[in-house]
Amino acid sequence: MNWDIAKKNFFRQGLRASLNVFVTAFSIIALIFMLSLLNGFQAQATRNVVNTDVGGGHYIAPGFDILSPTEWEDHTVKIPKSLSQLDDKDKAEVLVQQGQLYPNRRLYPVQIRGISMNQSLLKLPLDNLFNFQKPIEDLIPAVIGAKMAKKTHLNKGDILTLKWRDKSGAVDAKDILIIDVGDMLNPRVDDGVVWLRLDHLRFLTDRAEEVSWVAVRNYVGPILGFEYQSVELLMADLLSLWRQDRINSKILWAILMVLVCISVFNTQILNIFKRQKEIGTLMALGMEPKRIVRIFTLEGGLAAFWALFVAILLGLPFFIWFHSVGFDVSHLSESTLPIRETIYPDYQPLEIIYSLVIVFVLIVTAAWLPVKKITKMNPTMALRGRAIK
Amino acid sequence: MNNKLISFHEVSKIFKVGDENFTALRDINLEIKTGSFMSFVGPSGSGKTTLLNLIGGLDVPTSGDIFFKDIKLSSLSRNMMAKYRRENIGFIFQTYNLLPVYSVYENILLPLLLNGLKENTVRERVIDIVSKVGLLDQIKKKPSQLSGGQCQRVAIARALVKDPLLILADEPTANLDSKNSLQILELMKELNQQYKAAVVFSTHDEKVTRYIDREIGLEDGKIIFDK
Repeated sequence: MNWDIAKKNFFRQGLRASLNVFVTAFSIIALIFMLSLLNGFQAQATRNVVNTDVGGGHYIAPGFDILSPTEWEDHTVKIPKSLSQLDDKDKAEVLVQQGQLYPNRRLYPVQIRGISMNQSLLKLPLDNLFNFQKPIEDLIPAVIGAKMAKKTHLNKGDILTLKWRDKSGAVDAKDILIIDVGDMLNPRVDDGVVWLRLDHLRFLTDRAEEVSWVAVRNYVGPILGFEYQSVELLMADLLSLWRQDRINSKILWAILMVLVCISVFNTQILNIFKRQKEIGTLMALGMEPKRIVRIFTLEGGLAAFWALFVAILLGLPFFIWFHSVGFDVSHLSESTLPIRETIYPDYQPLEIIYSLVIVFVLIVTAAWLPVKKITKMNPTMALRGRAIK
Repeated sequence: MNNKLISFHEVSKIFKVGDENFTALRDINLEIKTGSFMSFVGPSGSGKTTLLNLIGGLDVPTSGDIFFKDIKLSSLSRNMMAKYRRENIGFIFQTYNLLPVYSVYENILLPLLLNGLKENTVRERVIDIVSKVGLLDQIKKKPSQLSGGQCQRVAIARALVKDPLLILADEPTANLDSKNSLQILELMKELNQQYKAAVVFSTHDEKVTRYIDREIGLEDGKIIFDK
């Protein structure tokens, strides 16, 4: 019977109940949207870094540190057999050297990065480099990223001077031809990086068979003299940023939840305030206060249930549609984040269920808390509408 | 045969208003018999409504004892007090106090459901009493669609439907015009004779006095006459 009364009360409240349900439903949709977009963003950015740079981890030449450019030349070694034997789809040999580029008569310090052309582990827009079959006596073919091209005002077909030091320390310089400007997606392999064929860079620096690191698909065990750096280690800065992002999103989630709960709490308070006479009448008719509390809480529960239902009803088509069109973030091309494409939300069923359960529990609690006041109400004051001031 | 329904022994009720104490009732001694048709009369603030609230178990006395038959009301727990009201008392309020989202039928049905009866077993009973108060053609309407007189008829039907021993009517005609007031009083008198429930009014409407069998006058919380 409590259920019947609560149902009647709820469904016949009309606009007040509908507004409450819709506000809560939209908040739930916003919550899921926010979480899924963040998931999608992080997943895509992580994938971009893995696909363009990290792979499944790096075997780093002894002493090599990407943060110490002045020492790059001192820490290159011949690739060990255990790594060179790996299939081209499971490894990418990389040689990194310091250099200076002279675009438009300016000096621009760069990282010259040579990469094996047969590798298929990292997805980089270097096809034109691979297809460049001419000898490099006159011009060295190079590819730069879109971000780098924009900064240096370079275009495909431009010729400019690149300076480097070879293994014996002799400074050498030659003109390079920008044969392509590629969309690198990842600023780490774009900003300040000039891509050459590995065989060309080895030839220019007299470092036959040498590497700075070898990116691998999977860890292949310890290799003497090489330090293995896992994906987590190589992406430590990004992962820490993601963790911070998660905390921020949780704070935002909590703020949104607090707003939802305040709205429900407020509606219930208003409900009880406006329905004091009704509560007094129910008491006069012989209904126990605890039973009235149960009825009002059930009404709150019904509001929560309908909010979830409406959120699913309205949210599902929206989420399906949004998953197909995504969110254009091309404006992020100026940012240092490894993403400059369309973000597609990543819906995590467990996370959604867990969020919905929390939302449901919080709403019912917010609906129950003010209703508790009823048990302390004096029936005569309630009948006069003066039990709560 | 002992037909004593309610008895008051030296009952006083004091309310705290800010820092002051307001004595609403002073040392009231009173008996109400089964089937009686009576009223408390007196000016505003004389204690009529407080007296009804105490009889109905909506409030408790500051001192003294109230008995329903032989049961001391102040000894009852909140839940037992609710049961006492549910099973024995019918309330009729000045402002009707009908549940706004319920229809006439549902408002009258509710007290029966609260007493644990199933709707299908009491449907006829509800329709019968709706017909007695002359609202059969309004049975599906909500209170907001009814006139004041019609609402009060619904309230009377709601009070009577559970066949209570006592009906407490707090200024039931105060919000009605003369014609509707007389109709309501005649209806209540008729139903009192038919259902044998004691009816106790609180009123300062002189029209009521023409219908009642016993009149108790109150002033400043004291009984000044009982005739």
